[in-house]
Amino acid sequence: MSIRDEPLNDKIWLVTISGRLDQSQTDDLQTLLHNLISGGHHELIVDLAEVSYVNSGGLRCLVTGWREANNLGGQFVLCCLNSRISEVFSTVGFDQVFRIFSTREEAEQQISIT
Amino acid sequence: MTHAFSVPGRYDQVAIVCQFVVAGAEQSGFGIDEIFQIELACDEACTNIIEHAYGGEEKGEIQVTWDFSSGAFTITIVDEGRPFDPDEVPKPMIPADPDNIDNLQIGGLGIHFMRKLMDEVHFQMDDKKGNRLVMVKYISESEQQ
Repeated sequence: MSIRDEPLNDKIWLVTISGRLDQSQTDDLQTLLHNLISGGHHELIVDLAEVSYVNSGGLRCLVTGWREANNLGGQFVLCCLNSRISEVFSTVGFDQVFRIFSTREEAEQQISIT
Repeated sequence: MTHAFSVPGRYDQVAIVCQFVVAGAEQSGFGIDEIFQIELACDEACTNIIEHAYGGEEKGEIQVTWDFSSGAFTITIVDEGRPFDPDEVPKPMIPADPDNIDNLQIGGLGIHFMRKLMDEVHFQMDDKKGNRLVMVKYISESEQQ
């Protein structure tokens, strides 16, 4: 399990999470997202391609980041969810809250044109 | 035959409890999608115990048993924390309303998951004995073959 972050271009910041998105990672992820957003990186893509598991704590962490970015007029989008992770999101209707894209390129394109 | 396991009530023990229950679900013949659902329900149940019944880590044990009989996989989770009434936990807004960002309720998601992912969920509270949660998942006929 790990969390990586890097600039994708001069506007968008990319956060890549792998492994289990549960209590083992939420503190680190919450801190990272807060630091990025409060540090001026309001346009974020969170890549979940390598996430094998997510629980309500993981969802709560993503919602907090999404809310923080939105409040500052930014964008917080997700990409590359596998079918099982997608099912968890749709179980609670979070697929309607987040903007979710199939690929990283698609997410990047959508942020760039808005 | 009932299989039993106990761990200290800490967040780092939740995945270990889930592994114990997942192994039982695998032995019982569930498919990978159902096993994922059982794992998530078990995870949410244990997390709720630490968060609500014990009010933090290292306050007591979590005792878990599983049993598979007549197509029913039954998980029983017992704690000695304060009585936990699921009705007192704020209900999440499901489905979440993207136009109502400030009022998006994200508490209570765990209980919602448990009820959504398992076929039966029963909470029993007792001031002296603590809380007993029973969750049941029925195996489909196609998986039993």
